[in-house]
Amino acid sequence: MAHSTADIGPAPVLSQQLLLSLAEQLKLPFLQIAREAELATLAGQQYDAMPVIRTAADSAIKLLDNYMLGVQLAGQPGQSFLTEPVSVSSVLYDAGAELLPLAKAYDVRLDLKIDGKFGPVMAHRQGLQAALVSLGYALIEALPAADKPQLRLQLSAHRSRYGIVAGVYCDAEHLTTNTLRQGRRLYGQTRQPMTQLMPGSGAGIFVADAILQAMQSQLTTSRHQHLRGLAAILQPNPQLQLV
Amino acid sequence: MLGQTYHAALRGAGHHVQTCATAQAAILAADNIFPDIVVLELQLVSHSGVEFLYEFRSYADWQAVPVIIHSNVPVTQFVGGKSTLEQFGVADYFYKPTTSLRTLIGAIAQHTTVPA
Repeated sequence: MAHSTADIGPAPVLSQQLLLSLAEQLKLPFLQIAREAELATLAGQQYDAMPVIRTAADSAIKLLDNYMLGVQLAGQPGQSFLTEPVSVSSVLYDAGAELLPLAKAYDVRLDLKIDGKFGPVMAHRQGLQAALVSLGYALIEALPAADKPQLRLQLSAHRSRYGIVAGVYCDAEHLTTNTLRQGRRLYGQTRQPMTQLMPGSGAGIFVADAILQAMQSQLTTSRHQHLRGLAAILQPNPQLQLV
Repeated sequence: MLGQTYHAALRGAGHHVQTCATAQAAILAADNIFPDIVVLELQLVSHSGVEFLYEFRSYADWQAVPVIIHSNVPVTQFVGGKSTLEQFGVADYFYKPTTSLRTLIGAIAQHTTVPA
């Protein structure tokens, strides 16, 4: 027996589609706020908070976009054609450019360490950048709680025996494997799944986790140059290594 | 409401601006004012931005008018792909949520010979 669309019930409140619809819709008010703040600045209105308002709204839009990208990638499991040879340095550079306004707003010094030859890695470029930016957002917002005289976030890459490790680093001592493991266990069940590290939900970390998993990479904790960080492990492109 | 923000920004940059909520209204407006440039959202009520492009480009008078797509649809999800954009002579494609007013105003200045 044929059913009309009217026979279909309301969207379940826990459905992925409902969350996606909500995320898409939420971008509109944030966009309105961001562009109004920019318009006020362009019109020469002297109100110190305008750049911060714009940055906050722009950051919210990007986090929503990154979440939606994660869902989209997760919906295409095993599609290796999505990956391409990617320069880690250029992705870190672009991610740094995206993070800079929020870092400034939080008075966080942003360092970029992309010296060294890593060669191309196989990754979904947009996904990798979205993951790094999401991690950066989460850590930038967490850093003020560290109560350090100079808050600092570093984007960098290094080689390890597992591959090329690219991520965001800071001097938060609680950024450990155990914290990440606990966060993964608690996220979605508690308001503050990484309670030792950040006061909020840490959504950026779980968005990055989902994106990297969909890219067949993985999010891991990492230590580099006396800093602790969250990073993606990426595999070098073997074909281009032969050239 | 968002349209008013863009309207104010472009007017502030020295342009005469006509905003239209539907593709049909945009065709009628273009017939009246002969625009120097069109800034187009793809997600419209009823007829889409792509349908507007088909209609708009079908008139000889408007074939050379630059069109900038400024849309909530990311270019990676634009169904027609790059070839369709080229076919319609789309001058630039911007993803609205991450495009600043300054960038949009700069692109309009770049694609129009009329000084702002």
